Order: sequence, then structure tokens, then C-alpha cells
Amino acid sequence: MHIVVCVKMVPDTTLVQIDPKTNTLVREGVPFITNPFDTHAVEEALRLKDRYGGKVTALSMGPPAAEMVLRRALALGADEAVLLSDRAFGGADTLATSKVLSEAIRRIHENEPVDLVFCGLQTIDGDTAQVGPGVACRLGFTQLTLVDHIYEVNQRESYIEVRRKLEGAFERVQARMPALITTTREINTPRYPTVPGRLQAASRALPVWSNDVMKLERAEIGLQGSPTNVRRIFAPQREKGEIINGLNGAHLTAADCMLNKLYEWDILNAD
Amino acid sequence: MSETRRKKPRGKARLIEGKCIACGDRCQASCPFDAVEMSDGEPVFILTKCNGCGKCVKICPSEAIELIYTPDEQKILDEYSRKNEPAEIESKADSAWKHVWVFVEQTEGEAHPVSWELLGVGRQLADDLGVELAAFILGDDVGHLAHEAFGYGADRVYLIDDPILSRYRTRAYLEAGLLLIRKYKPEIVLMGATGLGRDLAGALATELRTGLTADCTGLSISLADRLLEQTRPAFGGNIMATILSETARPQMASVRPHVMPKPAFNGERRGPVIQETLSISEDDIPTRIVEIIREKSDSTVNLAGAHVIVSGGRGMKGPEHFWMIRELAELLGGVVGCSRSVVDAGWLPYAHQVGQTGKTVKPKLYIACGISGAIQHLVGMQNSDYIIAINKDKNAPIFDVAHLGIVGDVFDVLPAIIEKTRASLNAPAELEQTAVGMEP
Amino acid sequence: MPWSRIIFTVLFIASIGLFLFNVYRLIAMLCLGRWENRFDHLLARLKGVLLFVFGQKRVVRRAFGVNHFFIFWGFMILLGMNSEFLIQGVFPEFSLRFLGRVPYGALLFATDIMSVVVLAAVALAVMRRIAFRPKYIEASRDAFLILGLIAMLMVAYFGVHAAEIALGETDMGGWMPVSGALAGAFATSTPEKIHRSLNASWWVHALALLAFLNYLPYSKHLHVLTAIPNVFFRRIDPVSVPPRLKFELGQDFGVSKVTQFTWKQLLDFMACTECGRCEDSCPAHGTGKDLSPKEMVHRGKLNLFINGGSLLNSRPIDTLAGAPREASMVKPLIDGTAESIPEKDVWSCATCGVCMEECPVFIEHAPKTLEMRRHLVMEKAEFPEELLSLFNNMEQRFNPWGIAPTDRAKWAQDLDIHIVKEDAPADYLFFVGCSGAYDSRARGIALAMAKILDRAGLSWGILGTEEKCCGDSLRRLGNEYVFDQIAQANVAQFKKLGITKVVTHCPHCYTTLKNDYRAYGAEFEVIHHSELIERLIAEGKLPVHARANGRVVYHDSCYLGRHNGLYDAPRHCVEAVSGQAPAEMERSHGRAFCCGAGGGRMWLEETEGKRINIDRTEQALKQNPAAIASACPFCMTMLEDGLKDLGKDGDVKVKDIAELVADAIE
Repeated sequence: MHIVVCVKMVPDTTLVQIDPKTNTLVREGVPFITNPFDTHAVEEALRLKDRYGGKVTALSMGPPAAEMVLRRALALGADEAVLLSDRAFGGADTLATSKVLSEAIRRIHENEPVDLVFCGLQTIDGDTAQVGPGVACRLGFTQLTLVDHIYEVNQRESYIEVRRKLEGAFERVQARMPALITTTREINTPRYPTVPGRLQAASRALPVWSNDVMKLERAEIGLQGSPTNVRRIFAPQREKGEIINGLNGAHLTAADCMLNKLYEWDILNAD
Repeated sequence: MSETRRKKPRGKARLIEGKCIACGDRCQASCPFDAVEMSDGEPVFILTKCNGCGKCVKICPSEAIELIYTPDEQKILDEYSRKNEPAEIESKADSAWKHVWVFVEQTEGEAHPVSWELLGVGRQLADDLGVELAAFILGDDVGHLAHEAFGYGADRVYLIDDPILSRYRTRAYLEAGLLLIRKYKPEIVLMGATGLGRDLAGALATELRTGLTADCTGLSISLADRLLEQTRPAFGGNIMATILSETARPQMASVRPHVMPKPAFNGERRGPVIQETLSISEDDIPTRIVEIIREKSDSTVNLAGAHVIVSGGRGMKGPEHFWMIRELAELLGGVVGCSRSVVDAGWLPYAHQVGQTGKTVKPKLYIACGISGAIQHLVGMQNSDYIIAINKDKNAPIFDVAHLGIVGDVFDVLPAIIEKTRASLNAPAELEQTAVGMEP
Repeated sequence: MPWSRIIFTVLFIASIGLFLFNVYRLIAMLCLGRWENRFDHLLARLKGVLLFVFGQKRVVRRAFGVNHFFIFWGFMILLGMNSEFLIQGVFPEFSLRFLGRVPYGALLFATDIMSVVVLAAVALAVMRRIAFRPKYIEASRDAFLILGLIAMLMVAYFGVHAAEIALGETDMGGWMPVSGALAGAFATSTPEKIHRSLNASWWVHALALLAFLNYLPYSKHLHVLTAIPNVFFRRIDPVSVPPRLKFELGQDFGVSKVTQFTWKQLLDFMACTECGRCEDSCPAHGTGKDLSPKEMVHRGKLNLFINGGSLLNSRPIDTLAGAPREASMVKPLIDGTAESIPEKDVWSCATCGVCMEECPVFIEHAPKTLEMRRHLVMEKAEFPEELLSLFNNMEQRFNPWGIAPTDRAKWAQDLDIHIVKEDAPADYLFFVGCSGAYDSRARGIALAMAKILDRAGLSWGILGTEEKCCGDSLRRLGNEYVFDQIAQANVAQFKKLGITKVVTHCPHCYTTLKNDYRAYGAEFEVIHHSELIERLIAEGKLPVHARANGRVVYHDSCYLGRHNGLYDAPRHCVEAVSGQAPAEMERSHGRAFCCGAGGGRMWLEETEGKRINIDRTEQALKQNPAAIASACPFCMTMLEDGLKDLGKDGDVKVKDIAELVADAIE
């Protein structure tokens, strides 16, 4: 079985803060990491490999520094890794990103047929959850999003059975392969790399595919291939924490206040 | 203006310190002269290569790049600006695409409320553009939803009613959606940012080779260029970005449930229903749903996926008082969490533990009752969207992370909030439990 | 030549041969381990042997050790006479008489007396195992066998000498009062009978002696042979610092096979006397966990003998070399078999070091546990799941909780605290540590320190958001790879900033910066806040006013006390502000009971047995204190949790010594 897993290098956005004085983003000391959702995708790919044998190829598009996320995947047990890096790929939105990724998977597929592609549900910097479906669509692979459990892979009959997380329920689905799966964070707990794994991963040469290799139309990739454009950005209105008194008989007023918040925050619905 | 054509000075690009958000590499990608190198996420401009074209300035979403000029150049520029050339705006998009569409998401014939919320904001957009608002409904035996769609503001309904659409499956819904969109060419398509909506929207946008903006919190029309301004949180919610899809059509956006208000229902409204038929067979669909598994198995505590978590700490004084935590969690559709000391004391099993050595959670709402907020607990829950803390000690560290802090006795506040919540949910309160609210 | 002599000579040669072969096997087994230099500091090593072997200094710390003292010295003295005895068996004319009549007589006298003493001591030891056996001592067959052999030796000795005196075969009877008295028992016997008795006694003595010699290597009494070298080769450095690793492909990281230990660590296994003192004082064992340092060493020995024996059998007898890297083992080292160490136990240790402090023969337990952790974490990535977030947080955010590095200086934001930079140095760098910077409770310590440093008028500063965790927990938990990265970065940063003096309030930062960073080229002086505060008070630079605010009991931090020998400084600080020396718990100073957080246990759930912090808190509460003073933020957390659990948090406070002192500054 050949599994491709897509990983992205992202800034650790949970560490980004807004300077309360200037209302600007404080990025100092914010490291780049593997997109947390993708760590679950890598883990699930590796678990399938452990279970059924085969090979895992990690794939990432990004600047040269993004090789760190591929090396992490290699350290964890991926067999191959390819970095897609070219200025021509830069500035891409989800549509242009899915183009480059899907073409890369097509190339890998031609060389060694791909049975499954794993992507994290979404990235923490973009939060769109669109690249997975985009890649699936472009490749014509069966699209399986929000997968939180894999029951089995039947290689002989070429199908996979997974559980998808719906609202308030789960769906057990049988799907034809090749398929693209986007994983939730609940699907597994990612393993930790061994030191020999890390050292091996660090010592390997990584193939980098630029557009000289990929030969994609400029109009379909990067900034030019991106239909969406950011007009402006601004800092969100932040709600300041509020401390109220609920002592000495004020608990009823406090409870009212809390109830209001529950409505304001849409925990309770007015209708 | 051609006679005064003294060469317009072009300047050099420069980064304005502190404004770059490391969006990726848009400036680098936009530069025709390879004059931008990236260093730790931020651009470094190679001045010998920069030609001052200003592409990076325009593309930068955070207005972090400016062009700098020598004083001489500045003088010439000032002259230019005095002439005040009017900006001409024309839409580069294909005008064949018209009208605003809203996807009506349904499960077993019941519409997801987000669909109606979208009709509310869609109405506004359609009115601003002076076009029709349409709903498109896909499913099996879902004709009755057309009536509801009209009631919530749709002018027209597109419908594909086919047994193959009885349960949502990407390929079938994708084909159906493509059929309608390609045939009727809406300029805007809005969908709910639900699991289903995101699954379908991503596929649709890719097949249509168009832009899609996920999880919008604001939608409006830029009247000057008739473009949909789609505002959404980016960078982990640290900034808001307004996104356009200038040329590709339709302009697609998804919106999370409960973000937009639901419009009033008017049962009198009627409109045309345009029905199409789908010509795909079961063999064309690569997925088969084996089983639907309903949630709510009491044996497992799904803290990680919970929408609301109500947690108790040592301040609950004993396991016998945790019924209040359970009750509130149940009323709010949440699950029960707790601090480490509660597990240590044996009041609740480890599966409920939130914190460094327990579960890290990120629900929409976290209610901490009688939890002082030791660091080991805080790191497990401080990324929750909203945090309410109830604690007697006004200096408790939990208040540092709370959006609403109530300095009070959990044994006063909790019964009160339980009673009020139940009253507002209009749930039939059992007699013995109503008495609880009156306890001192 | 009489038959008996021939038989004895054959037996003697065979026994000595077998004995020497066994010793050779043991040495060959030691050689299977990795090299480690323990041949430095020869004088100090010799001094240790005098003190701890011949002086039995650690043995006699416990009352019953005195018994061993007598057996030991009995043996030393008997060694002379027994050598003579054995040689006489082959060469009857041989005698130590050539020493001179008086010295020889003195030797006979001492032997005679010591034999009684040993006999009594053996009887006592048997009694102890039968009638009043402490939990940590086993009444094993092995023990009774050896005690029986010793007793038999003594009895036979008297049999021989009493008979000789009775027969008038010796002129030294006057030097042997006990034997002489026993000779009276032969008064009514015929010389023939006495002769027979002499013969029988002689053979009993001879056989018991040879049996003893060859039984040694197979029993716990191997320590008779190995304890002396083990004391000689003991760790000279007062603090146990794990060796720095090289991260290169083809290296082993940690220990999963017994032969990956160093020869000295293998010698440790052989030196164990199973006295059980380590187990008796181990906080993990004492609170109902399966881990026992004694059992771990015992299992290590069994594992070594099985695997080492098999390895030695598979190669030429004259090979003395390390085990090949790929050598396969008959029994895994970390596993559930009776000759392996359970994986669970590897994680139970708080590395408090009391086992090493207690061990009379200087066995080093914790470094072995660490090597096994290293293997599990680095080669296998197998560890309790709670550690996953810790490891990732440390690697990505340089603190255990994964809080934003930009928040590290938040505690100081409203204070005017100097940030040390290359162009803005300070005399003292206050290394705040993760607890002081992030934990809302421990921030109180950081704030108290800021007040103290300011009031003393020192030039000081912090690193602000540039500070990183010291990596202590990583290292103790075996994640040497990430520790190595952090240590390198920290030392490089300190060097770049030209830092010469570092003050920490956390003993974990303290020991890591001071000891562990040495291998990384750290040359700065590291001072624990208790040392600094003690000095500032003594020099009159801190205007503290002693107030009697009730009884204060002091809890020793393991890494401050046992590991780094700082017992008095924090106590003096408490005394300076409370007007009296702190109350002491039953277990304090070198025998202090851990809070349960060391060795990375801070980040692990404790589900087996009773929680260590509860136990320690109860010990503290026995002193009826108004406050428990600590000098470690981890201890503080553990004790506060303990108080909360016991419902005493309203009555008793835990205070860091810096907080106590800051409160007493007017």
C-alpha cells in the first residue's frame, strides 16, 4: 500500500499575540511547526503502514525551510519525502495550493500508484479545510473528510472503511480507493520520534521539486492561480474579561449576567 | 495627460516594522524582479533588484510594505498627486454570473438552521446588488423545504430531488451542485460552514476553479466594484482578513452556524421552484454509507470534541456536589470535566481530567466551578473560546483567563444558574430539583 | 604422606582453582560492560576504602550495622589464622610462629576472642531474621546457609583448638582463653577420643572454609569480594551527573541490554549485599509502589549472570572484551520476567537519591534508571503518555506547560526589572525558571526574589523572554536529545551575554546549570537563592526582622540537599526571620523524604500506591507547624497539593524561604 501524506509548515498561531498598545501582531518568538492537524494525518498513515505494510511518502509545499516538517515525518517513520518549493508556488490560496499538491501526487502516482492520501482536516493558520477536498477533486480520488477512525483497508477489493464525524452522529462509510482522507484531531495520538529516526531523517537528502520539475502553467499556480485575494486585514475586537461579584446575595444577579453571556455567545439560542 | 509625462518615479520597497504578519510569501510571489527574499517569514528587499513597481505593496494584506522615495522623487510625486487622477473601477468579472444563492443544507428532510441564517444575510447582499436571492436544495423528498426557503426570504428555489441524494455523499451532491451552478451561473454562493457544508464547498469550488472563503463572520458588498467582501478570522483568530474573489465566479463563502441572525419567517411568501434532474447512477458514487452511529455513549467522556465543558474543582467540596456540574453540563449540551485534584481525591475518574497531565481541551465554552486555576489546569483549557469562572477567591488565577468571572460561592451561583437556564430552556423542571434552587 | 593430607591437598587445589576461575569469570563479566574511567583520584578512593570498608562508616549508621562491624572485623582477623590453617593442611610444618611469639600469640588471642564475638553476632543475625525481621530484609535460605557456615567455622575452630590444648599439642594455650576454657570439656576424654574429635573438627573446619570460598560467588555474599572494589571505584564527585551523549548515527542511546552498562555499573550489581536500606528509605517503595532499588539491583545482577554467562560461554575462555554491540540477550533487561526490570518501575523513581545516600557499598541506582529511561524515550519513544505534551512543549516552546515564550516576562511587567543584554550587563543574572515565570503561585517566589535583590542593592537582571527552561525534567526523564539542544542554546546564550554569576530559586535549575551544564562548557558561578540570601543576611545587607509567627518546619529539596549538599543555608534563612531554628521532620537532611516531584515525576500521574506528596505532607504535619518552609517550587506545589488533599490548606501555609525573608524585610 502506498500512502501519501500532506504536511504544512505553519507558524504556531496559538502563540501569536496582539500587542494591546499598538494593536499589532506580536510574532516575535513564534516558531514554525508542523500543522497540528497534519501530525494526526502522518500518524494515521504510519499506523496503516504498521498494520498493512507498504510505504508512506510525505509531501509538503512551502519555502525551503519547510523541509523541517518533512524531516519530522521521516523521523517518525515516513519512507520518502518531497518538498514542493518554488517562488512560482508562493502566494497561493487554497485553489492554487491544491493544484500544485495534486499535480505532485499525480507524479508520485505515475511512478508508484497511490492508494491513499492523508491530509489534516485544516491548518491552524488558514483554518479553511479546503485543500483536502481540492486535492481529492483534482485527482478524482474519493473524498473522505472528518475521518476520526479507520475500521479497515481491504486492498484486494480496493476499499477502505472509515468513520466520519458528523454533527451529533458518526457515519460509517465504505469508500473506493484511491481515496483522500482528512483527519480530525481525535483520530489518534501522534507518536514521538526516536532519536535514531531523527538522526536518520536529518542526514537524508530531500528531493525538492521546483516548477522546473513540475512544469505547471503559471496561471494556475501561486499568486496568479489564486482567485481570492486579501483586501485588508485588521485586528479583531477583543472582549475584555469581566469580573463580577456574586457574593453576599449577589448570586442571582451574577447568574442573570451569566445567562446573558450564554445567549450572547450563542451557547443558548433565543429561538 | 500624456504631454506632461515626466517619468513617474518608482521608489523602492521597504518593510514597515512590526506590521508584517508573515502571511506566507505573497510579496515574494508577486515580485516580477525576484527582489524579495524571505527571512524568518518576513520579506527582505534586495534594493538593487527592486524596480518600485509596487506589486508587493498592493498585495500585502497587512499594509506592511511601503515605497520610499528620495526627496526629489517625492517632489515629482506630489505633483502627480495634485493632478488627482480619478480611479476607474470596472468589474473584470464575467457579467453572465448573476444572483445570490444560498445552499439549503438538510439531513433527513430537516434543514440545518444555518441555511436560514444565510438567507438572512443573502437577502441583504442581493438587495445591495439589486439581484435575486435564490435557495438551492438538494436531497430526496425535500420539496417541502422550498416553502420554508421562501418564508425565510428566497425569491426563487432551485431543487434537485433524487433518491440518490437521500444521504449526503460528496460525489452525488457535488454533481448536483455543479449541474445547477453551471447552468444558472450565480455570482455568489453561500454555504454553512458545517462539516457537510465545508466538505461540499471545497469540492464545488475546486471543480468550478473559483475562490472560496471559509468561516466568514462578515459578508458585505463593496458597491464600487460589486464585489463580495468576505471577512473572516485568520492566523488562528488573531487577525481579521477581508477577502475578495475579483474575477472568478461564483464568489463562494461559507459561514459558521450562529454567526448570522436568523431572519423572521413569513409563511405568506411564495416563488418559483425550478427543478432539475440528476443523471448519475449509484455506480458513479464511490462511497456507501454502512451505518449512522448516534452519539451519546455515556461510557466515554469526549472532552476533546466537546462544545461545552463544565468543570468542577476542589471547591466543589466533595463528589456528592457534582450533580450540579452534571446538571448544568446536561442543560448546555456539554460534558463534565474536572481539575487534577478532583481525580486525585477520587471524586471523578481520570477520563474527566483537564490539564497538563489530563486532556487539553478547546470547547466553545468552558465553565470552571470552584477551580482556582493552578498552572497545570490552565494550560489544558485556556484556549477555549469562552471561559466562565466561578470561585470564592477573587485572587484565584482562573480569573486571569476568564471572559466572565463570578466571585461567588459555587453553592449559591450554580443552583441559581441551573434554575435560570432551565427556565429559559423551558424544560419541564422536576419538582424535587426545583427545590434545589432555593437552598441557601 | 597420610591419605588425609593427599585428599585435603587435592580438595584445596581444586577449591582454590575453582575459586580463582570464578573470580576470573566475574572479571570477564565486568569486562562485558562499557568502559568508564574510575581510576582517577586514587588517594580519595583509598581514603574511602579505609573509611567505608575498614571503618564501616555507612554500615554503622544504623544500629544493627554494629553487628556487621564485628562480623567484618572478625573476618579480617580470622583471615590470618584461616590462611595458616589452610596452608598447614598441605604443609603441616607451616606456622605463623615466625612472626615472633608475642605477635603470634596476640593474633591467636584476637582470633579466639573474635570467634566468640562473631558467633554471637551470627546468632543475633539469625535471631533478627527469625524473630524481629524488618520488612526490607529477607530471611532467605542463602542468608541462613551463610550464617550457618560461619557459625560452623567458629565452632569447628574452637573444636580444633580446644582439642589441641587438651592434648597439649600447643604451647600457645595461654593465648587462647576461650579455647582453653573449652579444653576443660575434654578433661574426662581419652586422648584417642580427643584426637578423633580434633580430626573431625579439623575436617569440618577445612570443608566449611573451602565451601564458603566457593559458595561466595553464587550468593549475595559475593559482596565480601566486590564491596571493597566497589567502594574504591565509587563516584567521587558529590553529585551524580549523567554523561553527555554524542548524537551520531550508529550510537546506542541509553541501555536496553545489561552489557550496555559500564563495568562499574555491573560491579554495582555484584556488590549488593541486599541489606535493604535503599528499599527501606525509598519514597516510592515506601508509598506502596513496586519499585524497590534493592530489587532493581538484584534483578540487574540476575540478568547480568544469565546474559553474561551465556555470552562468556559462547566465546574462547581467554577473551576479555566488551560485549559486541549486536550481541543478543537471553533475557531482556527491561521486561516483565523475574530476571528483568519492569518498565513501569523505571518511571516510578523520583531520582531523589536517598538509595545512593543509604547504600553502605556506594551502589549508584539512579544513573541506571536514567539509562533505561534514555533507551525507552530515545530509542523506543515509549513513555507514559502524559510526557508527550511535556516533550513537545519543551522542544517548541521551551517550557513544560507550552505557554507562549513571550509570556515569560509577564510576571515582571509591572516592575522595573533590568533585562540583561550584551550591552547591558549585570553582576547577577536571576534565572527565574519556568515555575517562577509562569506558575501563578511560584511567581510569588520570583517577586520575593526581586524585592530581596533590590533591597540588597545588587546589580541584577533577568533574561526576560529570552530565557529558556533549563531542561532538568527532560534530562531526568531520559529525553537527552532535546535536553542537549536546550543546554547548548542556554550555555551559548550565557556566554554571549558574558554572564558570570547566576542566581536561581529552583534547585532543579540550580543543579542543571551548575552541574549538568559543565560538560557543555559552562563556566559561570551558580548560586542558589538560599546561599545568596544567607550571605546577604549575614553581611547585614538585608534588614530583616525576626518575628515569631509560629512554628516553621523545613522540608529539604532532594536536588538542593542530597544532590548538592545545601542543608544549612536555607535553614539559616528560616532562622533569621523566625528567630529560631526550623523544626525538623523525622526524616530530614541526607535522609529527607522526597516530595514526589523530582526526576520528572512532577509531570507524571501517580496512580500506584499512596501519593508521595501526601505522605511527606503528613510527616510535616506531625510537627504541628504553622508553615512549611521549602526552597524549591516543585516541592512547594507538591506540599500545597498535599495540604489541600488533607484539608489543611487553611491552617498551614507553604512558603518559600525567599517569601519568608521578603516578608520580614521592613
